[in-house]
Amino acid sequence: MRVQKKKWMDLLCLSVFLVAAGVAVAYGQSGGFSESIYPVEKLKPTDSVPKLKVGGVAPDFNLPAVAGGKVSLSQYKGKKNVVISFVPAAWTPVCSGQWPGYNISKDLFDKHDAILLGITVDNIPTLYAWTKQMCNPNEKLWFPVLSDFYPHGAVASKYGVLRSEGIAERALFVINKKGIITYIDVHDINQRPLLDDLAKALEKVK
Amino acid sequence: MEKSNKRFVCILFILLALLFTGNPPVWSANVTALSNPVKSDPGNNTSIPVFELPMPGSEREKSYLGLSGTGNFKIGQIKAQVLIIEVFSLYCPHCQRTASQINELYQKIQERPDMKEKIKMIGIGVNNSTYEVDSYRKRYKVPFPLIPDENMEISKMLGVRGTPTFIGIKVNGKGTQKRFYFEEGGFQDTQQFLTEIIKLSGLK
Repeated sequence: MRVQKKKWMDLLCLSVFLVAAGVAVAYGQSGGFSESIYPVEKLKPTDSVPKLKVGGVAPDFNLPAVAGGKVSLSQYKGKKNVVISFVPAAWTPVCSGQWPGYNISKDLFDKHDAILLGITVDNIPTLYAWTKQMCNPNEKLWFPVLSDFYPHGAVASKYGVLRSEGIAERALFVINKKGIITYIDVHDINQRPLLDDLAKALEKVK
Repeated sequence: MEKSNKRFVCILFILLALLFTGNPPVWSANVTALSNPVKSDPGNNTSIPVFELPMPGSEREKSYLGLSGTGNFKIGQIKAQVLIIEVFSLYCPHCQRTASQINELYQKIQERPDMKEKIKMIGIGVNNSTYEVDSYRKRYKVPFPLIPDENMEISKMLGVRGTPTFIGIKVNGKGTQKRFYFEEGGFQDTQQFLTEIIKLSGLK
């Protein structure tokens, strides 16, 4: 009997936990297109093995962009500092707010002569529909959004941020004009990184 | 099975039912947990709990609200009869889209000599840091005070479930504040909204 009671306790705890997780996730939603956001339960904070280090060379890539054409990391070498924002997947709660926040913080990136590259493992049509709803109908995100869809998550994998479910971590990399990594934040996937921390990382980039 | 266990199973089923009713489930789970202390139907005269907010950083914002000093303040200290709160986030596209409309609301109040001392506005940045709130203010040139609510404590006290949410509060200096308006998602017409606020609050 005691054992059985313990099982029910576990279940009760689990349901309370699910409610709490729901609360955390819902705050990422916003009135605009919250109906389209797929509800996600709390995930394991990180689920990948780091492959890169601060001070190391950032691996190059060449990925298709939502706006058309391809974008490579090396095209910014000697010209711009680069912030790469990997987010787990389109149409999920926290990510659906993260880039709109960056979209209205262009000043921060300009101030530090930096470009932002947003990357997910979704395909281009999905990213097109998703990012279109992040801003006003006649506007576009100011930064390139790149698709690491095929070969699936190859760039995320090179950067050590491909999770076992096949989605990317919520991760930020700052890369200086020489192509050296100056900041890595593989964040708890369930939470949005503070803009403060990225601003501090950009202050330090040389 | 023992009686106590049956009761337990019953409670569990109710909990699970609460979890899985409604659409989307995340939203309903959220409502379940945050349904108090304020109910979400607009227009009712619910008392809101007394809580403290961090003092705005600039003198201009403090003087607008009739506050002075540093530290925290309570809503009852605001020099106004009605307070309109916009709960927003730097990361909320809908808030971004309607930011200029909310600024317009502020302007419309300022243009009314009979109302500008009676109605004040603040924004509460849910889950936003001071830096994030500052970025939002700068980007949209928000003329009214914006207050960060990094740990979502204020938003929870106000019964907020998503952004943007608009709350109307009748302010009295005695500490008990009544809410007369609660609306999620925003409004269509600024003038109409202001007229409604004036009417519902009993200012006219």
